[in-house]
Amino acid sequence: MSLSSALEQLAIYRANNVRASQETFEHASVILKSAQQLGDDGWAVLEQLFLASVDIGRLDVADRCLKQLSDKFRDSPRVDVLAGIRMEATESTDVVLQYYGQLLEADPANAAVWKRKISVLRRTGKIDKAVEELSELLDTFYTDVEGWLELADIYTTCNRYSAALQALSHALLLAPQNPFYVLQFAETAYTAGDLPLALKTFLVVVDMCERDLDSPADKPPAGISLRAWMGIKLSSRRLMVNSHPSPSNTVIPKNLHLIEELATERVLAAYSSKGRKPEGRDVVVRWVGVA
Amino acid sequence: MPPQYIVSAQAYVKIVFHTAKHPQSSANGVLLGQEDSSGQITIVDAIPLLHHWTSLSPMMEIGLDLHAESLGLHLVGYYQACERVDDTALAPVGERVAEKIKSGFKDAVAFVIDGEKFGSGQVPLIPYVAQGASWRPFSGTDPFSPGSPFQLSSADLAQRSTSWIRDGRHNPFGDFDDHLEDVTIDWLRNTASVPSDI
Repeated sequence: MSLSSALEQLAIYRANNVRASQETFEHASVILKSAQQLGDDGWAVLEQLFLASVDIGRLDVADRCLKQLSDKFRDSPRVDVLAGIRMEATESTDVVLQYYGQLLEADPANAAVWKRKISVLRRTGKIDKAVEELSELLDTFYTDVEGWLELADIYTTCNRYSAALQALSHALLLAPQNPFYVLQFAETAYTAGDLPLALKTFLVVVDMCERDLDSPADKPPAGISLRAWMGIKLSSRRLMVNSHPSPSNTVIPKNLHLIEELATERVLAAYSSKGRKPEGRDVVVRWVGVA
Repeated sequence: MPPQYIVSAQAYVKIVFHTAKHPQSSANGVLLGQEDSSGQITIVDAIPLLHHWTSLSPMMEIGLDLHAESLGLHLVGYYQACERVDDTALAPVGERVAEKIKSGFKDAVAFVIDGEKFGSGQVPLIPYVAQGASWRPFSGTDPFSPGSPFQLSSADLAQRSTSWIRDGRHNPFGDFDDHLEDVTIDWLRNTASVPSDI
């Protein structure tokens, strides 16, 4: 692999926040052999390689990266967090929490350290404490979308779906343009048993994904809009059988059967596109056909 | 005395490929099989379902409906791999799915991936069985050791799968989540990654 293509790939991983640790490790190892030519970009690659190495258990490489980073950036809060991550790999929970505690005492506004601390609490099963700290963090940094999503995720894994919906609604307020969060909200509402709310939110996802297309009806749904159409099909079909109560008092659309028909049409469209070979078409056809 | 469970090569390889494909997130799926007249249950196939949000149910429901009975097999179990290496709990979401499967098949089983054993050449599956209203790890003879009611269809499967994963054979593996993003992904059979001669 050439140096420039490896660099480019790593930059893409960084920009998109992809955690492809094995690939990152391989790309970055190519680059480090010619590190002197890199300049300032080199430090970002070094940090990336550090995280990937911890992930795949190559602590020897991680230690070398961390040493270089801490020599270059003394007292950097960012490097402090990396040192914490390295400790998490081998040290006991108490030692790690104590380290994070000290950093927070010195700088209570260091959100990155605070989040690491919360993740350690969650991982070691101290869910109540993690929720308490995370809520406090979100009181301080209200605009932290990642934090709201984490809170929603914690609630979901504890089967507390209405609390999860509340946390997600903050994420939706802060990032209204992101259809993925809306989709997550819809699936959470479905799991919570609020089918009218789930249906309505799945429809919002479709609207967000397809409204800017020239003639959406002619194009098969792809990506998350297929997922949303399947959700619409599922929710509308169940609502037609019996009307579920909605804790959020969402109104069930009057023309439910038209929505259901449209969903059937759109799901099938995804499986009849020309030129590519959709897999498992027969099972989908059978599924949408079951009334 | 619990019934005998035999995990076929195809089912086993799919479970471990699915796990290996998503080291940083949880992943789950269901097990299909059949029971013979002596009460022995053969787990013939595994259907990989999710890796995005394994605790949310709509796509799980659709995935379950889609494959159901399509191959003349019963739904006999569930498997999940957790996000963290040291987490081998089935609760609370896995329990709900396993319970649902049990309502259609009384000897349903759930496997949780043991991250510590993964890739060691040992069988990294912890069987959970229903005890009254809750699900507990099987407490008899070490699973997958001689004399245990849990066996692989061939003993060297664990080692062979590990070397396939080292070669990256699991990379094209896809589940229902992947399929929803790209409908050309063959989540029901995974012929692109599962070796055909096992």
